[in-house]
Amino acid sequence: MKVLLVEDNELVANFVKKGMAEAGHMIDHAPDGRDGMFRAASGSYDAIIMDRMLPGGIDGLGIIGALRQSGGKTPVLILSALSDVDERIRGLKSGADDYLVKPFAFGELLARLDALLRRSQDNQTVTTLSLGDLRMDMLTRKVTRGGRTVNLQPREFKLLEYLLRHAGQVVTRTMLLENVWNFHFDPQTNVIDVHVSKLRQKIDAGAERPLLRTIRNSGYMLSAED
Amino acid sequence: MDIFEHPAEHIVEHLGAAAGLSKPAPRARGVGVLGRWWPIRPLRFSALTLALGYVTLSIVVLAVFAAPLWFGWREAIEQGRAELLQEEAIWLTDMFQKHGPEVLAATIDRRVNKEPATGKIVLFANAAHARLAGNLHGWPEGMSDAPGPQQVSIDSNGTQLRVVLMNVPLANGYTLLVGRGASRFRRLELFFIYGLMGAAGVVLLVGVLSGLMIRRAFLAEVQNISLTASAIVEGNLTRRLPVRAGGADELDMLAQTVNRMLDQIEQLIHGVRNVANAIAHDLRTPLTELRSRLEGLSLSRPPAPLAYAEVEAAVADVDRVIGLFNALLRLAEIDTGARRSGFVEVDLATVLGETVEFYQPVAELKGVTLEFNTPGELKVSGDPLLLTQAVGNLIDNALKFARERGTIVVAAVQRADGAVELIVADDGPGISDAEKPKVSERFYRGDASRGTPGVGLGLSLVAAVAKLHRGTLELDDNHPGLRATLLLFSAAP
Repeated sequence: MKVLLVEDNELVANFVKKGMAEAGHMIDHAPDGRDGMFRAASGSYDAIIMDRMLPGGIDGLGIIGALRQSGGKTPVLILSALSDVDERIRGLKSGADDYLVKPFAFGELLARLDALLRRSQDNQTVTTLSLGDLRMDMLTRKVTRGGRTVNLQPREFKLLEYLLRHAGQVVTRTMLLENVWNFHFDPQTNVIDVHVSKLRQKIDAGAERPLLRTIRNSGYMLSAED
Repeated sequence: MDIFEHPAEHIVEHLGAAAGLSKPAPRARGVGVLGRWWPIRPLRFSALTLALGYVTLSIVVLAVFAAPLWFGWREAIEQGRAELLQEEAIWLTDMFQKHGPEVLAATIDRRVNKEPATGKIVLFANAAHARLAGNLHGWPEGMSDAPGPQQVSIDSNGTQLRVVLMNVPLANGYTLLVGRGASRFRRLELFFIYGLMGAAGVVLLVGVLSGLMIRRAFLAEVQNISLTASAIVEGNLTRRLPVRAGGADELDMLAQTVNRMLDQIEQLIHGVRNVANAIAHDLRTPLTELRSRLEGLSLSRPPAPLAYAEVEAAVADVDRVIGLFNALLRLAEIDTGARRSGFVEVDLATVLGETVEFYQPVAELKGVTLEFNTPGELKVSGDPLLLTQAVGNLIDNALKFARERGTIVVAAVQRADGAVELIVADDGPGISDAEKPKVSERFYRGDASRGTPGVGLGLSLVAAVAKLHRGTLELDDNHPGLRATLLLFSAAP
């Protein structure tokens, strides 16, 4: 995957560049708005990580607006220190696909970027999702593991669906909170962990190979590989 | 908090100085000048204008009163004189007709000599205007033959006198002039004018004096306000403007308004100071840990695996600081009230249901029963994100303090007056009456919460959300436990 990073802070840029390279992505760095604008317009990227306040005459939202107006569909993740709800809304309204507030954990950035890349790849509706011997039928809302029926509450179903749609990717607690529950605050207790461990009991109980694993310092991943 | 009290206050002082709240540059110079040398100067324009306006108005009123009096009086004098002359003319004409010119001349001379000082003027002349009798030396110059009173100038022993003369034609060309000196009422006129000018002078004097007095009194009050304000600027926030007992004049009203404003400011400053103290304290702990961790790493240079563990712990410390900052920013955002523009219709029953469902597994894990009662739809106008967070914080809080195998009751009811009551009640240790007002203060952490996670902003956020929705957060005893009631008045129409 080829990712463009538009970021003027050198320290942050190096941190992201290094992490992305380790995660196997190719990354180009534009240190100001003008450079970012030119590179984004070339259209040769799979995703763009965009800072909002930039030197060089044009800010992040300006670049996104210009990109969208000229028909560019590259998914954009805004990485900004502007954290107000209204700022987030403005960012997403300008045509960005996700918004991450600084300071951030790299795991969160990577997970969100992977989710964005995946979303832009397969947008077609599916009727069944499966991973290993776990199958989910979207129409009958039935879930089986190795032929055995797993009874899930509606919210557990939604949680598993989200994990399945992002199988093989790290999914953070915040991503689950926002996408499964539509909650946009930080519950101080580890409620998400409790939900996930309940789900894990239901799908992984008695199976010789657990599918749902905890990724330290980041979140969770549903994966059939070891 | 105790040992950090002073450093935190320094922080506040610095913050305050930066914002221009205390310790302003040099001692307010204007006040000193104003107090010592020219106590009147700052008000010269307004007070003098006021006094001059008053004087001008008074004089105009005086003139309006005196002018018709003057003209009416003058007319009455003229008329009275004309009637007097007329009467005399008739009497003399009568004599002429009855007794002839010789008798008339003799009578006139006798009369004029008998009463010389009355100012009465008579002249009996023949057809050639030559004097036959009377106290005029000859026919006055400029006197025409037309009948009726006329004003002319006559020469009397070398001085010019203004007189009013009436021409009375008699038979056979004889002519009679009767008249009076015009200056007879001169003294009265002068008295009138002197009186008028005296009154104007008094008005002017009183106007200027009262202007000065008003100015002085006003200045004393303003100076009072100004001095108090300077004292406040210099940091003494407890000072208040004096309000006279039962005083209801404009300045007292102003003083009362200013005092109310000062109360509000003092409260805000107090709040800021408390928050700054609390932030300083709450940030100090993770920052101290972070600092010692990093310094330890740099000093001891441990082998890689140990170093990594330390670095990860350092990241966790930073995350605690970030969490605190995020919570503060959120509170600040809510406090500005700006979010009110984004209010939509929210079904509180749904919000409650989803939040209860979210926390249900945690309750189960603790063995706590989480009960939820609602009468169906409960529409309010509000911010769904913030209401969810407020409800979440209340349930989170209840879960932290509920007894093992206890019960938490979440309920919502619509009261008769349309307000919506949202109740979260636990059966934990509860909050003592003394602590109740404090728990919704920022960063306050009760004795019972020592050792539990959290930054002490949970209930203050709920209180802020309630305030944003023009509601209140009430904390009552649940016998045992805490019963938190979020009262929302912004029911959707």
